[in-house]
Amino acid sequence: MSLVLDVARIAAAINIVLLGGLIAIWVQTYREIRAPMTLGSIVFATFLLAENAVALYFYFNAPAGMPPLAVDVMAVLQVLEVVGIAALSYVTWK
Amino acid sequence: MDTVLWQTLAGTRGGPNRARVLRALDDQPRNANQLAEDLDLAYNTIRHHLEVLEENGVITSSDASYGVIYLPSERAQNHWDTVEQILTQVDD
Repeated sequence: MSLVLDVARIAAAINIVLLGGLIAIWVQTYREIRAPMTLGSIVFATFLLAENAVALYFYFNAPAGMPPLAVDVMAVLQVLEVVGIAALSYVTWK
Repeated sequence: MDTVLWQTLAGTRGGPNRARVLRALDDQPRNANQLAEDLDLAYNTIRHHLEVLEENGVITSSDASYGVIYLPSERAQNHWDTVEQILTQVDD
């Protein structure tokens, strides 16, 4: 149970780091090239980062007695997000 | 393709330099060595940018007497208004 919660915490933390990196790259580019595409990417990543921050906060402050199934599903969602964000990070870094 | 151009030139870490490469190639098709010299970038950096640009269909290559030269792809030409929007914002 707490292992699953740890997985979710780690996944959320990884997402926050990756999204922070993406936002940094895009902000730097946006300073030079004011592309709507780049600005949209910044907004998108900012809200996704906020979502992960809320999730991480919840994973550290979840009340006892959460339904195990809910915890499992949340962990799966968080891990799926890691894969998606990692893929985007890879092509953005190239 | 419009989206690909935006992403390749303005949505990635090497975007601004890739835009400079594309501008140089529009001005005159060149090989990697000439680009490195003209843009004052390392040869390996140029090679990397050319690879990304070609993979994404922004430039094409052709054989010339002095090695492989690169030029903007037909797709890039078709969306040149987008390219212009980006290029006008990139310093020399």
